[in-house]
This record gives sequence, structure tokens and C-alpha cells, in this order.
Amino acid sequence: MWTTILVSGISLGSFYVLVALGFALIFGVTRNFNLAHGELLVLAGYSAYWLWKAWAFPFVLTFPFAILVILLICLGLQRLFSRLRDPIELNSIVLSFGVAILIQNSMLFCFSGDYRLIRIPILNQGFHIPGFYISYGQLTLFFLSLIILGILYVLMYRTYLGKALRATIQEKDAAALAGINVTAMGTLAFCIGAVLIGLAGPLYGCIHYLYPSTGHEATLVAITITIFAGVGRLGSIILAGWILGLAESFTVVLCGASWREMVSAVLLLTLLAFRPHGILGKGEG
Amino acid sequence: MIQSTSKKTVQYDDKWGITTDKTSLFLGLLALITLPLLVQTNDYILQVFTHALLLASLALAWNFLGISGSISLGHAAFFGVGAYGSALLSLEQGLSPWLTIPMAGLFATGLGLMVGLICLRLRGAYFALATLAFVEIPRVITDNWDALTRGSLGLVGISGLPTLRMGAWHVDFGSSITASYYLVFAYFVILLGLVTFVFRSNMGLALQAIREEEIAAEAVGIHVNRYRLLSLLMSAFFTGVSGACYAHLVRYIEPGLVYGLHFSAVPMIFAICGGRFTILGPAVAALVLYPVDQFIFHPLLPAGHEFLYGAVLILTMLFMPNGFWGRLRNA
Amino acid sequence: MILLQLKSLNKTFNNFCALSDIDFSLSEGEIVGLVGPNGAGKTTLFNLICGRYRPSSGNILFKGIDITNLKPHEICRLGISRTFQSSRPFPRMSAMQNVLVGHIFGKGFSLHACPEDRQMAKELLEIVGIAHKADTPAGQLTLSEQRRLDLARALATRPKLLLLDEVAAGFSPVLVKQAIQLVNRVRERGVSLLIIDHFLNLSLKVSDRLLALDHGEKIAEGPPHMVMRNRDVLQAYLGLRHQDEEDD
Repeated sequence: MWTTILVSGISLGSFYVLVALGFALIFGVTRNFNLAHGELLVLAGYSAYWLWKAWAFPFVLTFPFAILVILLICLGLQRLFSRLRDPIELNSIVLSFGVAILIQNSMLFCFSGDYRLIRIPILNQGFHIPGFYISYGQLTLFFLSLIILGILYVLMYRTYLGKALRATIQEKDAAALAGINVTAMGTLAFCIGAVLIGLAGPLYGCIHYLYPSTGHEATLVAITITIFAGVGRLGSIILAGWILGLAESFTVVLCGASWREMVSAVLLLTLLAFRPHGILGKGEG
Repeated sequence: MIQSTSKKTVQYDDKWGITTDKTSLFLGLLALITLPLLVQTNDYILQVFTHALLLASLALAWNFLGISGSISLGHAAFFGVGAYGSALLSLEQGLSPWLTIPMAGLFATGLGLMVGLICLRLRGAYFALATLAFVEIPRVITDNWDALTRGSLGLVGISGLPTLRMGAWHVDFGSSITASYYLVFAYFVILLGLVTFVFRSNMGLALQAIREEEIAAEAVGIHVNRYRLLSLLMSAFFTGVSGACYAHLVRYIEPGLVYGLHFSAVPMIFAICGGRFTILGPAVAALVLYPVDQFIFHPLLPAGHEFLYGAVLILTMLFMPNGFWGRLRNA
Repeated sequence: MILLQLKSLNKTFNNFCALSDIDFSLSEGEIVGLVGPNGAGKTTLFNLICGRYRPSSGNILFKGIDITNLKPHEICRLGISRTFQSSRPFPRMSAMQNVLVGHIFGKGFSLHACPEDRQMAKELLEIVGIAHKADTPAGQLTLSEQRRLDLARALATRPKLLLLDEVAAGFSPVLVKQAIQLVNRVRERGVSLLIIDHFLNLSLKVSDRLLALDHGEKIAEGPPHMVMRNRDVLQAYLGLRHQDEEDD
């Protein structure tokens, strides 16, 4: 039992990391909460599903398409967000809430409420090592998340561009005074976020049924992990993701699958009640 | 001294700055009272407007909290608790809805107290996120507690709206669509009266001050935490009552619906798009947008017609932050 | 009679010591100027007195009552009021309503206000000179008018002690004169004043006493002309070199 919890927890957690990274980056750089994040994820999944089902594309080729779709939408979103006045965080929540409803209904219109699934049989097959059973899908999620994190790490900590991004995350006004184009940084954050969503979406379609209202869960996960990790810390996000994944696995095994959805909500509330600025992030005031 | 010539000054009346345009109010209520006569043969129109009035009441209830500056994305928690509370009490205990509906409101208020204890120290964006998370808890519990709530199957056969008996004369509000309409209309008018009273009292002044500048409000003697809690509890109570009315109106509820996004989002959208700094704004938005959604967009797009609410919210946030009714009043 | 007493007041934020060991008392009817360069801790002191922050150690006594751990609205009801460095009016409410709020809540709770409240509010708006803009939303007032609105609102709470934070900052000589008249009128109403004045253009002219802070410490206290000659005060404002010149 414990091995199941461990394996599924870590792989689920790795997936959650992929889900949350885009959200965290966009929030860190632009201070916009994008509540449509989950809906974008599902949209990416639907895009991949459509290519895979209607046009018989190989699954791997659906990723670029999904990324492109989300990229275009995110660029449009950024335009909308940039028109908001203070308080940006709250206003972005309300605005993106509206966007989420819009996207959800569009998906309902295009794809109907039926449950869809991208079936890739090989992902469910797996192998045994003493005491453990790991599926290829779980393995993919685990390594993919590490690879993406690695790429992001190199970007953020080894390039000049990354340095500018980190500066904007830490102190937007000071960064602007230092000559960094914070608007461009915002655009970059949205683009990277879009790529990450575009990557996670098709995967979501494999491991989870796609239906228009399922985005809400994913948004909650992204918010929880971002707040758990605190703003602007890459390493904390993977820790937060794994903890959430393990907590959910544990709950599913102990109480049943239908209690899973409450885990991230309870975790988020606990975080907000005691440390709104993140357990692992810098404390303020 | 430089005069600003281009800005319009806002009309404030003798009292507390939230005025009610009495003419429009009178005309609006008149139209609503006579509606059943105007649409005699068309039950569907009446049903739509019954729902619109219920949603308008929900929007007004949401705005009890909204006037203090807090934005709640999870009000369906109170709605659902009210719906299930009243439904279960009337089904299991056989009590009359006249009793169970207010009791359901009290259940919702209890939940509101819990929310307040956990979330009221949060401000702005973080409060909103907390409410977004909070609604999951009663939803999942209701969904799983099969023994009490029949779980995800929902509750069927809930009794209809109650009967009013006065001596020999009685009116069964659950018997016809017209009767239900009038009961919901009466509830709406009562709530509107209450909102007007509160918003124009000192408490309303305090809540507005808290919304505008919380630190300054505290510095001039306003007990911020107490007022915020009170506004939350009132909001929770009336949202719960609205949920209870809904249960007896449609007579079937399930967790996914009454705790769902629809009942969290739509009242909030009506309040913001109508104007959360006004008394009538939320109601006006509900009574305009919901019928538009049902009569125009629903037939056109059976799936996805609710995009309207998302679109209106986006437009409001970008172009009319004071809301439609708020803008109209200031022009 | 001693109105306000600060005893060994300390405030540390996350390893940064904002105020250390402040001892001070203010008598009824006094006007005291709180002076010192940027970052000296003046606004922090205000925030402590008004209950917005809690001191790390030490006591604050007002009219003999220990107000150290009270909340801002309770302190306001006891009789201390303040204005803010960057004015904080209620932007979407009219000037009249801003002052009304102060008058209604300054002393306790009532369900509906009475004509008196409105009358008082009008008077106060006249005193600060913005009665003609009573119905304008406060967010549309000019900066100077907003500052004066802040003052009217603070006065509306019927304080015994008023803390003014940079009320004359950036004012031209003409406006400073008006501010001085305003301060004197406030004093005539029986209100004692503690004024933060970083630029010194106001406090030197109205204060009975000055309290000088630097880096969180009290460096001088006494009549204005003495404090402004004080070596440490000159050093804090102007630097060591000028202080040496003084010696010559």
C-alpha cells in the first residue's frame, strides 16, 4: 500500500508541478492571478484530443499544436490583464474568472459535455521492481517534470534573461528603474507559461477525463502549489507539488477517490490561514 | 487653485450617499408585479422571471459582503448549505418550509462564522482565493455523506413552496407558477428593503469606509473586524435562505449543482456588473441579464450560452468598473 | 496634566531596530514637534501610539490609561486621532461623508446619524477651508485639499490629542501660513498636538517643544531654538562637516 501511495503520489505530484509552474511564473512576474489557468489546461487537452482523434495525428505531434493554441490565447490574455488598474491581484482574479467562464462555455459548445480521453495504451503498461509497480506514464511524468524544471532552472539562473526575470519577480519597480523592460518580461512570462500549459494539457488528457468543467480543479492545484512554494522559488515548487501529490494519494487510498478534491482546498485554506505568503517563501511584515 | 473641469461630481443625497433612484425603482417594481397579468398564457416566461428574481435576491445577498470590499468566489457554499438544510429538514422531519427556510439560513450563517474565523484576517486577493477553496469543503462532504444527503444522487421530491394560512383563507405558493412567482417576488422586495436600510444606515457608511481605506477607517473609530464579520454573516444568511427557496422551488437538488460554479459565479457577476457600490445595481443586472441569457442566448446556443456571463464580467472589469447601473447613475 | 506618556518604547521589525528606548511625555494644551531626518522613526512612533503596530517593549499611557495593546479604533474612541503622511481619504465618498464618518464613529456606535453630525461636519469643512467642495468625491480633490480633508476627518472624532503627519510637507510659504493658522485654530478647540515635520517649515513656528529623533533614538528635547542648535540634531540633518564648522 505504501509503495502505491509513494509512486502515485510522486508521479501525480510531478504532474502537478508541470501544471503549477506556468501559473507561478505568470504570478511572480506580473502579479496577475490567472484563474483561467485550469480552463487553458483543459483547452490544450481538447486541442490535442481533436488532432489525435479527428485527424489521427500521432500523440507526440499534438503538443506543438496545443502549445500554439495556448500561446495565442495567452498573448491575448496578457493584453487584457495589462489594462487592469490597482489592486492588480484582486482585479486579475475577477477578470480571469470571467475568462474562465468564457473558455469553459466555448469548450462546452465545441466539444459538448461528454467525457473524452486520449488513450495511449503504452502509458498504462509498466514494469515491476521489487515492491513497486511503476507505469510508463508515471515514469514519463516524473522525468518530464524534472527535465522541464531543469530547463527552467538553466533559463532562470544561468542566462541574462533569466536574471532579468528574477529581478522583475523580486522587485518590479526596482527592475524597471534598472532598465529592465518589465512589460516584455510579463510577455515572456505569459509565453513560457503558455508553453508549459501546452505541454501539460495533452498529458492531462491522457491521465484524466476531459470535460469542460474539470479545469477548476487544476486551477485550485496551481494556486495551492504557488502559495505553498512562495513567490519566485523554483525548487520549492517541486517540493510543494510532491507534497500535494502524496497527500492526495494518501487520501485516496485511505478514504476513497471522492475525497481527493478536498485535499488541495484544505491545504490552501490552511496555508492562507497561517501563512498567506507561503511556507517556503519569504515572510513579509 | 487648479480646478478640474472635466470631472463630473457625483450626486449624493441628504443621507449617506447611496441613493436610490425612486422613479426607476417604482417603475421596475410595478412592471414586476404586473408581469403575470401581462404574460397570462406563458408559464415559461414567468418561470424565467421567478428564477431571475431569485438570482436577483442572491446578488443582493452577495453584495452585503461586496459593499465592504471583499470579493467572494465561493458563495455557493452558503447556497448549497441552505438548500440542503431546508430540503433535509422538510424531508426528514416533515417541517414546513416556513420553518425550514429560515433555519437553513441559520445553518448558512453558522458556516459563515467558520469562514469568517478562518478567512477574515485575509484581504483582497487572498480572501477571494480562500473563498474559492472553501466551497469545496461542504460540496465534497455533501457528496460523500450518503447516509445523510443521498450523496451525488441528490435529493428528489422536496416539498414545494409552503402554504400561507390566515384563518379560513389560504394560498398554496407551491401550487402554481404564478403563486411561486409572487412568493419569490415578496422575498425579493423584503430583501431589497433590508439592503436599502442597512446600506443607508451608519453600518453601510462603515462598510463603505472599510472598503475605501481600511486603515483610515480604523483610525477614525470603526471596528473593522466586527463590521466585516457582520456583513459576511448577513450575506451568508440571505444566501442560505435563497438556496432554501431554490430547493423548494425546483424540488430537486444535487451537490454539483447547488455547490457549483453557477451559483458562486452568477450572483457575483450580477453584483459586479450591475454595480457593487449601489443598492439596485445587482438586482438590475440579474433582472436584465438572466432573461437575456434564457430568452435569447439559450435557444441559440443550448450548450455554452452562459458565456454571456463571462463576457459581461470581462467587459465590466475593463471598461465599466463601477458596473452598468453605477455608471448610469453617475452620468 | 500629562496627556501622553511613552515609557521605554522599543520597536524592532525583523532585526531592524526602528525605535529604541523612547521616553517622552506630552502635557495637555501643548504642541510638540517631532523632528528628525528621513528614517528616524517618526511615523513608526505615530503608528505605535495609534495602535497600528504593537511595541516590542515599553508602555504607552494616555490620560493615565495603558493603551499599549489596544486596537486603533479603541484608541480613537479614547481620544487620539491622526492624519497620514500620504493622505488617505475615502476616495469614492464625498468630502462631507468623509468627515461624517469621523464624527459618527469617533466616539462609539449609533444606528443612524442625526442632523447634529451633519452640522458638525459642515463646520469642520469650513474650518479647513473646503466647504465649497463638500459634495465632491474625495478622490477628485487636489492634494492640498485631501490633506485638509484628512485633518477635518481626524478632528471630527473629537480628539484630545491629534497626531499630524507631515501636514505641511511640500507647502509653499503661503500654504504654510494657512497651515499655521489652522493649527492654531485646532489648538483653540482644546486639542493638543504632536506634529511630525520633517521639513521644519511648520514646527519651528508653532511648537512649544521639539522632540528630535535620529535612527530611532531620542537625541534632543526642549524649546525649538535650543533643539535646533543642538549638536546632534545638526549632525543628523546636515552631517558632520557642518557640525565642525559650527565649532569654529
